[in-house]
Parts: sequence; C-alpha cells; structure tokens
Amino acid sequence: MNEKNKLHLLRFKRSENSVSRLVSTTVLFFFISVLTYAQETTISGTVTHAGTGEPLIGVNVILKGTSKGVSTDLDGNYTITLLPADAVLSFTFLGFESKEVMVNAHTSIDVALTPVTSELDELVIVGYGKKKKRNLTGSIASVGSEEIEKTNQQDAVSILQGRAAGVQVTSNSGAPGGAMTIRVRGNSSLNSGNDPLYVVDGVPIESNSLSSLNGTENFGLNPLADINPGDIESIEVLKDAASTAIYGSRAANGVVMITTKRGKEGKAQINLNIFTGVSEITRKLSVLNASQYRAVILDSYRNMENPTEPTFAVIDSLSPRNNGDVDWQEELLRIAPQYKIDLSVRGGSENVKYSWSSSFLNQDGIIINNNYKRVTSRLNVDFNASDKLKFGQSISYTNAINNRINAGGSGNLSVVRELLIRPPSYAMYLPDGSLNGYQFGKRNPVGLAELATHLNKTNRIIGNEYAEYEFTDALKLRSNVNLDFVSMKEDEFIPSVLDYRPGYNTGAVRSLTNLTWGNETYLTYNKEFNEVHNFSGLLGFSFQNWKYEQTGLDGMFFPSDNIRTLNGAGTISGQEVNIITEHSMLSYFGRLSYDYKGKYLAEVNLRADGSSRFGADNRFGYFPSASLGWRFSDEAFLKDNTVITDGKFRFSAGQTGNEAIGNYTSQGEFAVGVNYLDYSGAAPTVMPNAGLTWETTTQYDAGLDLSFWKNRVMLTADYYVKLTEDLLYNVPIPRTTGFSFITQNIGSIENKGIEFTLTTRNLVGDFKWDTNFNISSNRNKVTDLPDELLTNGFIQNGNYHILREGLPIGTFYGYQFNGVYSRDEDNVNGVTNGSQGAVFKGGDPIWEDVNGDNIIDTDDRQIIGDATPDFYGGITNNISYKNLSLSVFFQFSYGNDIYSEINHQRNSVVRYNNLSTLALDRWREQGDVTNFPRPIQDDPLQSDSRIQSRWVEDGSYIKLKNVNLNYSFPQALIGRFGFSKLDAYVTATNLITWTKYTGFDPDVNSYSGLRAGVDEGAYPQSRTVILGLNFGF
Amino acid sequence: MKNIEKFILAVVFLGTVSCSQDILDKEPKSSFSAQGFYKTTSDAQAGVYGIYASLQSNYRINFAYWGEGRADAVATNHSGDPSLLAQNTLNQTMSSAQWNSLYQTISRANYAIKYVPEVSQGELGLRLVGEARALRALSYFYAVRVWGDVPLIIEPFESAEQDLFVERTDKELVLDQIVEDLKFAAENCNTNFGGERDRVLITQGGANALLTQVYMWRKDYQNAALTADLVLDNSLYSLVSMADWSNIFTTGFSNESIFEVGYNDVQTNALRVLYALGSDSDYFPSEQFRNSFEDGDLRQTKIYDTTAAQPRKIWKYFGEGFNDESPDPSSNNIVLVRLADIILLKAEALNELGQTDEALDLLNRIRTRAGLPDLDEADAIAAYGDVQSAILHERSIELSYEGHRWFDLLRTDKAIEVMQPINGLSDAANLVWPIHEDALNRNPNLDQNSFYQ
Repeated sequence: MNEKNKLHLLRFKRSENSVSRLVSTTVLFFFISVLTYAQETTISGTVTHAGTGEPLIGVNVILKGTSKGVSTDLDGNYTITLLPADAVLSFTFLGFESKEVMVNAHTSIDVALTPVTSELDELVIVGYGKKKKRNLTGSIASVGSEEIEKTNQQDAVSILQGRAAGVQVTSNSGAPGGAMTIRVRGNSSLNSGNDPLYVVDGVPIESNSLSSLNGTENFGLNPLADINPGDIESIEVLKDAASTAIYGSRAANGVVMITTKRGKEGKAQINLNIFTGVSEITRKLSVLNASQYRAVILDSYRNMENPTEPTFAVIDSLSPRNNGDVDWQEELLRIAPQYKIDLSVRGGSENVKYSWSSSFLNQDGIIINNNYKRVTSRLNVDFNASDKLKFGQSISYTNAINNRINAGGSGNLSVVRELLIRPPSYAMYLPDGSLNGYQFGKRNPVGLAELATHLNKTNRIIGNEYAEYEFTDALKLRSNVNLDFVSMKEDEFIPSVLDYRPGYNTGAVRSLTNLTWGNETYLTYNKEFNEVHNFSGLLGFSFQNWKYEQTGLDGMFFPSDNIRTLNGAGTISGQEVNIITEHSMLSYFGRLSYDYKGKYLAEVNLRADGSSRFGADNRFGYFPSASLGWRFSDEAFLKDNTVITDGKFRFSAGQTGNEAIGNYTSQGEFAVGVNYLDYSGAAPTVMPNAGLTWETTTQYDAGLDLSFWKNRVMLTADYYVKLTEDLLYNVPIPRTTGFSFITQNIGSIENKGIEFTLTTRNLVGDFKWDTNFNISSNRNKVTDLPDELLTNGFIQNGNYHILREGLPIGTFYGYQFNGVYSRDEDNVNGVTNGSQGAVFKGGDPIWEDVNGDNIIDTDDRQIIGDATPDFYGGITNNISYKNLSLSVFFQFSYGNDIYSEINHQRNSVVRYNNLSTLALDRWREQGDVTNFPRPIQDDPLQSDSRIQSRWVEDGSYIKLKNVNLNYSFPQALIGRFGFSKLDAYVTATNLITWTKYTGFDPDVNSYSGLRAGVDEGAYPQSRTVILGLNFGF
Repeated sequence: MKNIEKFILAVVFLGTVSCSQDILDKEPKSSFSAQGFYKTTSDAQAGVYGIYASLQSNYRINFAYWGEGRADAVATNHSGDPSLLAQNTLNQTMSSAQWNSLYQTISRANYAIKYVPEVSQGELGLRLVGEARALRALSYFYAVRVWGDVPLIIEPFESAEQDLFVERTDKELVLDQIVEDLKFAAENCNTNFGGERDRVLITQGGANALLTQVYMWRKDYQNAALTADLVLDNSLYSLVSMADWSNIFTTGFSNESIFEVGYNDVQTNALRVLYALGSDSDYFPSEQFRNSFEDGDLRQTKIYDTTAAQPRKIWKYFGEGFNDESPDPSSNNIVLVRLADIILLKAEALNELGQTDEALDLLNRIRTRAGLPDLDEADAIAAYGDVQSAILHERSIELSYEGHRWFDLLRTDKAIEVMQPINGLSDAANLVWPIHEDALNRNPNLDQNSFYQ
C-alpha cells in the first residue's frame, strides 16, 4: 500500500462514521458518471420470437466483448449506441438460444430468437459429470460466479451463508482466514464428522483444519480460504442421497462441488480486478470504567460470608499497577485496511483453451497486529491431442501467511476475552515505562496481540491432470490423477513479559505436510434412442490416499524474548512431536440414468467404498441410491397452459456413510515415547474395536421444481428425512479399564426439513429487478442412545449441552434463573443451595426448584435453550438500470439460542473480571429489585458460574449481509483508453445486524458442530466496505 | 485406432484388478496397533517402562494428597483438594478422589503380565513380569488404602466384548492379590541393576520393602518382620549420615532409598507447588507438627523454615534455606520407600510381637542419627505413653511429608483420635475417600462408599 493510501485510511480512522461516509461518497460518484455520459452512433431494431413472431421483452443486447448493453422494451425494440465499426451484437434471453450479429454498416438489425427450454438447460455439476438442470432428480443448491463476485468475500464457505437452501453456515471466528462451520441438512453424527466433502474440479480436498497451534481456540483455520473465490465458476451443494451417494462413505454430510473457471474459445480476455477497503467491528460492548469497577469489587468483598476488605491491591487507585482507566476495546480494535488484486487471462483456440489467474490479498484484522496475506495462482488448460483424445489440467498454488491473534476459547491467552474482562484500572504501563504484562492472572491483551507470536504459513497445491478418450460419441473414458498437498509451518511464542514468572517464556514450532492423492478412472455412456429414450451410464473406480506428517517441538526458558526459534530454548519441554499417519480408500462406483423424452426420469447409483480405517471384516460399505422424476408440465393436460412453463416432481432415496474416525482407531494403539526418565517405553492408549463399521445415513427426499410465466417465477421446494444409524461415538467406559473411552457404533439421529428457493424476475427491460429468496428449516433429533451411556437420562455433551433422546443435538441444559431475591424474607420456603448448603438470601439468584424439594441441586437442571435455528436463509435483490446495478443481500437465522459464556465472564467478579454496565444495576441492599445478583468474591453459591438460563440469549438475527453497487463505464468512454470493460464497484459486508443478542455478533460458534451456539469470546465479526475497479482488456 | 482402444481398456482393466485390497492395510507408523506390539524382547522391556512412566502422574501430587492431606502435619490456605482434605469435607468431585491414573498403571501392567511371557521367556521375562506385578501391587495398595474395596482387574481390556463394568472386590481379596504379586516380584526381580536404576526400578529389595508395608497394613507382624529383615540385610541399602540426610530428597538416588519415582526436567512433579512455592504453597507445617519436635532434633531445620514465626515453606525436598517464589514444576524424585521407613516398621512389628528391646534398638538407630538420645522403654512410656507411640512419633518426624502419616494413623487405628480435635473426624466410614462422581457415572455397578452416599 502506498503512502497516499495509508493517509487516506488514517483519515478514515479519524472520521466518526467512516463507513457510511464512504458509501455516500461512492454513490454520488456513480450518479455523476451516469449523468455526464453523452450518446453517440446508434443502432436499433426489434427482437421477436422465432416461432410465434411475438416481440420479446427484456432481451439483453450486448456489444460483444464488453459489458455494455441494453434490453428490449415492451414492444421488443432496442436502441444501442456503438463506436467500433467491426462490432458484434449479442442477443441473449433466458429460455432462448443466443444469437450474434455482425453490425457492419447496418443501422437497424431485427432478430428472431429460437426458444430453448432455458436456464433449465444449463449444466449443473454432479458427481463425476454434469447434468442439465431440467433432468436433475436430486436436490442440488447452486451459486454461480456472478453472485460470488458480488460478495467480495474471501473464502468459498462464507459465500454459501444464506445463499443456498439447506446449507447452514456459522462463523467460528471473524478473523481473516478464520474457521467456519458448515452443515448441510443438519448434524448427522456425534463424533465430529459433520463437515461436507469438498470436491474442487474433481479433487476431493482436505477440508479439516490442519493447524495444530491454535492457542486456546477450539478450532483451527479455514482450509477453504486457500481457494480464491475469484477463480470460482460455480459452487454446487449436493444435498440428497441421489446426488451424494456416488461419493459414498464421505457424503453423509453433503458434498460441496467447487468448479473453477476454464478458458473458452476466442481472443484472450485479460481481466484486472483491484479493490481496497476497510473493516471495523460491528459493535463494541459496554464495560465499566475504573471507578465503577472498583465499586463492584468492593461490594463483592463486603458481600462475602465474612466480609473483608480486599487483600490484594486490585482496588488501590494509588498503586501504579492499578491507577489506569483503560478502555481495552479502544486499545485493541482498529479500522483495518485490506486490498486485493486479481489478474486473469482466459481464452483459447479450437484445440487449446487456457485460463490463468493470480491474486494477492492483504487483509488486516480488526484486532491490532492481525494480518492475513494470500497469494494464489491457477492454471487450467484443456487441449485436444486428436479428435478422440483430450488432455487437461487444473492446478492451483496458494501461499498464505496468517499472523494470527489468539481469540476465543477460555483461558487468559485469549485476546478477545481479555479485552472485555481485563479491569480498566490495570495500568497499561508500569512507572518505569515497561508494559504491565501480567497482573492477577490476567495477561495484557495489547501485549498478547503485539508481542506474542502466533504465525501460520501455508503452502498448498491442488492439482488435477486428466485424459479423456472418446471411443464413440456415446462412450468416453476419463482418467485423472489428483493431488492436494499442504505444507504448513506454525510458530508460537509467548514472551516472559506476559507471564508472572521471571524469564518464563514458551515457544513452539510445528511443521507438517498433508498429501492427499488419488486416481479416478471411469467410463461414461450417453445415448439417445429413437429420439425418446435417453440412457446414460457411469462405471468407474477410484483410489485415494491420505498421508499426514508432523514434526514439532515445544520449548521454554528462552534467555531472551527476541530469539524465538527453538534453538534458543533453555529447555526443550519434552513435547517433541514427530508423527506420520496414513489412510486409504478404494472405491467402485456406477450410475445408470434413463429418461423418456425428458418427461419420466430415473436414476440409480451405487458406490462401494473400502476404507483402511475399519477392520478387515467390515472394510467395505455399499451405498446405493435411486431417484425418479416426473416432468408433469410435459403431459398433455398442461401442454397448452401459459402459466406453468415447467414443472417436475422429484423423489429420491439412498444411503451414504461416514468414516470420520481416527485412522487407526479400530486397531487400537500402543503409543511409543511413553518414557520413564531416559528409558524408552510404550503403552496402550486406544482400546481396539475390530468390529467398528460405517455410520450409515438413509435419506429420503421429495422435491418440486416449478416455473411460471416463462421462468419469471421459479420455485424449488424439498422435503427430506435423514436417519443416521450406527453412529461412531467415543463411548465413555470405566477408567478402571485403563482407557477413557472406546469407539463404538451406537445410536441414531434424525434430521427432517424443508427448503424453499424462490427466484422471481420482477421487472425486465431497461430497469431490471430480480429476487432470490431461500428459506430452510431443519429439525434435528437424537432418536436413540443406548441406556448404558445415559446418566440421569442423558449424555453430558461438553459443559453446556446434553444429548437426550427426542431432543436436538444443540440442547442447552442447566438451571433456570428467575431473577433475584429482593429481601431475605422473599425466600419464603427457605430454599437452600444443596442439601446442606446456605439458605438463599436477598441478592441471590432465584433458581427454579424443578422438583419442589426446596433444595437447589443438579436435579433442578432443565432444558434452557437450543442452538438449532427454527429456520434460516437469505434474500437477494438485484436491481439494474442500464450500466448501474445494485445487489442487496439479507441473511437471517431465527429461533436459535446462544449460550454466551463471554457474557458470563463479563458479568461475574470471578478473578477480578471487569463487568458490563449491567452491573450498575446490581443488588446492593435489602429491598433492591433487580435482575443482577449481588457480586460475591469466592461465591460459595456459584451464582454466576453454574450453567444457567441467565447466559442463554435469543440468537435470532437478520443481517444486511452484503450490498454491491456496480457501475459499468460506457464503451464509448473507455474504448479510447484501450479497455473493453471497466466496472467500478463498492461492496459493503455486514452492514447492519438486527438482533437481540448482546454479545459482539450473533453469527458466532465457539465450538464446531455438536456443541453449537456457544460464544466463548470468538474473534468478532467486522463490517467491511470496499471500493474496486474491474478492468477488461 | 482400434488397437489403441484395446490397449487403453486393457490398462484400465489391469489397473482395476491389480488395485488389490492390500492397499487398505494401513498399520500405524508412529505407534503400534494393539495387535502389533509385544512381538520382541525389546517390546517387552518398553512395555514395562511404559508402566513406570504412569507412576509419574500417579504420585506427582497425589502422594501428598493421599498420604498427608488428611493428617495432622500439614496446614493449608488453599481451596480445592488441600482445604477439602484438611477440613475433612471430602466430596465426590475432588481431584484426589479419582483413581484413573492408578488404573492406567494397572492396565499397562496387565498387558505386560499377559504378553511379556509370550515374547520373552527365561530370566528376563520373569524379571519383567515381576516388575509389572510389583507395580500393579503398588497401585492396588494405594487404591485399597484410599477407597477400601475397589474393582480388582488382573487381565488387560482388549475388546468391547469384555465385561467393562467391573464391581468392587472386597479389600482383603485385593490385598491377597497384592501379596501374591509382591511375593512373585520378590523372587523374580533383579537383586540389583547397578547404579541409579537400583532406586528408580523395582528390585527384589523394593518388592520386600513394599511387602513389609503391606503386611504392616494387614497387621501381619510376623511376616512384616521377616520381609523387613530381608531388606535390612540387603547390601544395597544403608542409612546415610545426617549431613547427607537432605540429599535423600533433594538429589535422590541415595543409598537409603529403596524405591523412588524418577522425575526429570521434562517429566516433572508438583513438589514445589505442594510444599515450597515461596509464600503460597499448598501446604505449610501445622503448629502441632512444629511443636512435636524434641529439643535438639537435627532434622528440624532441614524439614521446614524455622526462621519464620509463621513458617510457610517446607524445606525437606529443596534444602535448608530454600527461598524461591517460582512455581516451576520440580524434577526431584519422589521417594516412596526408604530404609528408615522399613527400620521403623520392623521396630513396630517387633514391639507388637513383644520384642520391645529389639524394637527400641531399631528406633534408636534413627534417633541417634537425628542427634537425639536413646530411649529405653521407660523413657518411651514417659514421653509418648507407650513404645508404639514413640515409634509412630518418630515416623511422623523422620518420614514427614513423604506421604506416610495418614496411612500410619489408619493402620494403627489412631486416625479419629488424632484428627477429631483438628477437623472433627469421627466416623470410621469416613476414613476412606469417596469414589469420584465420574467413575460412578461411567460404571453403574459401582456403589459409593457408605459415608458419602
């Protein structure tokens, strides 16, 4: 970034509402551009229906090779202004075949377009092939490149949030490159294997976070951030068994197919897209200032059973350590700049087509010293060696350097937690000018952000080389070799200034490689008989191997905080890591599709997967599926109606699997390196279970695709039932066995849901308005758990959740908080804390006494919330007028609860935490009516720390997630400068959030999957505004 | 062209067929599968060292919680286990109520006892099984002393089909197994290894010393005296001089040591946090303990900080004058059995068997080293009421903070008498620990100890 830009950004930082100012300036700029544009030479004409001769309304007339274009009016007429004499006009209209006409010397060009059945003829990516959308019998959600470009988001997963029905995306972290959780049609597994399979250009890629130095966070980085969204042509999410069963044992959680852009025949198209922008936190939270804080702490000592004055100097405002009044959010959060450059060249001849692209992203996080840099480069080539033989490749390289901030999770190393709960009175600096790095169990978050090292460097190559041989037009053989290679180096260092022990610093280094490679070879057959019977078939096998190698060291007592490599460690702390694990899979698969005139459709799939993870007797699993489709709109009784353009029922049933367990779990494990002094030892660490086998998900799907008035209104609806059995679960066993758990196949889970996607073209013509709306609802329920696993009828699932038959996986379980006793005598029944504990008094919480025994104990816990939303989705409105287009995207989630552990932390005096301003209403004396209990040091009643409804909040929200305003400069203006296209755009992300949630942001998920909906103080979400220019040459 | 097509099809077909399922056999590379271990003699040795490794976590802090936490020599300001134990308010969620680590040792030992004989016959195999059985016995010995009846498991768990939910076994039966295991060890272990290994691995002497402790626990004085003799006659062991007394604990590997759990810079324990973390360790010497020294006891200044009016530091493991605020983990070995312990146990046994003079001789060996005058029976009765009490008092000083005091009180039926004035302990059913909630949740066949139900 040059100096000027920096200054520019500094100025932003000073302005109070930089984002809104940026928006208004940009809008103004666009309008001026539109108005000052003057017209030149003109061509006009009429576009009609080739069959009926009726005028066509809203046909796109575009000057080829540019984005310049107009639409036909209500009479099918158009007028377009042109410059070059050799121009070519292209006429495109949804549902009709496109046409291109040379302008030459004409001033009037009339065109007749032939109808096709439209967008339904668009090809959709399916497993091992493509299929016309109209012929689909499965359930697939799709997001195209145009939509992706408008988001200007930097990873493929967040793009799916709110844009694909049945796909729920939550953020684990708002940090650049931070992890996301994605669930396709709900949680179907208990043992972490709930992520979909990701397939990029036919390569099943590693989608688990590989980073191992994640500080206190419960998750790693987002491996999908290694893919540049600018390269993506489309993302398809395969949801039902008919679509996914071809991926067998890895497909129970859906399949995300990412297809990258490829070259097309024609002149090289050079594209340069540059943007720059800024981010800021979506909101700050209220905290007490130093004097308010001191008052609460004093109260908390006076409220003790034997009231004392604080022994520690936390409230001594004269102590140099305690005389601060610091707003830690102010110190830690910033307006963070980012910029990105995308350059691509695409084109080709009849025999060679190429697509090359490269991008550079530099993104600062909204917490100081957090930065993410990513370079990507991709080359996709296809060439014909002969009429029958084709070769090609897709290969991408990514280099990412993530200077991370430890945020989220518990413990005093989390910057986000510390910035909220560190007392304002703790001075930033000591009188000698040095940083006040550690005080009473709290590490200085500014020091953590600026002085600690938390660095991740990733290099990744994803490649796919294929050859395709055409025996006949109908029969083809395709074989590919694919690989996904990740090399990662991680460094961590916590300097001694952040510790209470002099000279106590710790460092760690990890270096790993993860190689996934495989071969897929398959025959495809496509043939039409008698123009009515269409057959297609697929038969193939695949082999896939995963190998993970990691080396690492932990060290401590470095003589200096400045030498952070492990050769400087005074002690290597015995955490040497050097492991190799491997896993492989051998599969056979086939598919048979038939349709009669496109009216009656049928398809069957079968995949057999063998996995090295299971014992020899259970190695192979068979995953079949079948589906039927009926295009009732082709039936005679609907043939002549003008309302329904297309209508299809779909039904599918099938099975998929899940093998997401440890590579060697079924074999048991004897770990080495279990040393006694210098004597090398080994010990059993995993109990074997040779009988382990796949989790199996059986899914039924019924769907309806409807399109009205020549595709002006299109509706897709799906209802599904998913039953997952033989869940792979780490069943706790008595520790007297020497083991803590054994992995077994137990229990079952059901997911049921409905999904709607509605696309309407509200206005056509010059002024266009499209709306895309999708909404999904999933009901998750644990249907069976073995009795021997249950304690009090349920399984405790982490701190906050339980698993119980009949309840969803994200159920929160704890005490119901019913306010605060105003006076001692308000506890009329003399309710006590435990059978022998104290009687609750004025200022203590009123806990619901579920069993009415006047004793509050673990039997009084109840269901206090559910992290699963009732429904979620998104709505996009695309509006365009001539060269100006606006896209407005709202995303929502309704009915989900959040267990706000961070709100617990910031409303409790435990460990001298600072509190939220809610504490100003705390109970102080008999008769006070409030909902904030009296703060007590070393509270024997554990009023704050027990799991309780007080920390459960409604996490529903609606977000103005994305606004994109784009202006395409007229050809007449930019042609002079040699551009074929110039777009200027502004994109705003996370602009406004409407929610009742009182934490940073309701889009939060500190744990993945099974323990959803907990906010432990995750890296906050940011509001981002970017300005960009997109040049075409 | 047709030939090319045939060729391609042939290659694909061969590729498919030759992709045999062998590629799905993936043995772990950085560890062994459960079936892949115990194939060689070196596996057998490594498996047994793996048992020793688990001792480090067993005793890193619990040797003090179990052996001192409920007794009269320690005082504490710390919440959690230290205060729950000191105030006799034990509960089923406290960390010292967990037996996980002991059973991990037992599980590893069970694997070794089953599989070592398959790969290592002869002397080495017997020796390794002896060590494994001694370590299993040591774990069960702690378990019965802490919880009473406990599940007795002597086979490894290798399949989900086994009965995982084992009930508790009468503690006398467990003790029978302990004795049987230790007798086997006393016969088959090494007499010595030479060098430091004699102290941190189980030898015949170690097995006999543990047997002595077990017999004393069972009040089997005859056998205790016999096994104690075997230890006393063992040339590996001799009392160190008073000048070297601190070194038993600070540097370890002393001639007086019979079995100590080895630790080092990376395999660490919590001794500092327990006893010597400057002003704020878990434990400091109780007033009663400080007042129980006889005048002129040379050990007093080596045991705790006598310079402070309110001593906060226990110096025994770190040396006189130790003053350090660092909560670093410590690398000292933890001595579980040493010669002075066995001498005093033998004294006790002989006294019970009516051989009072011989008992007093043994007692006076320890007293003499500490710079104290010899006691005869009359002195002992005058000072302590009876000879047994004199010996017990001597143990309370000599073996202070080494994790013996609570078990001495239990074994001599003095726990209630001594602790009632201090923390109100009054119910014999309260002498055991509760079984941890987690263990109860995991195993429906376990019943909580009656006092804690």
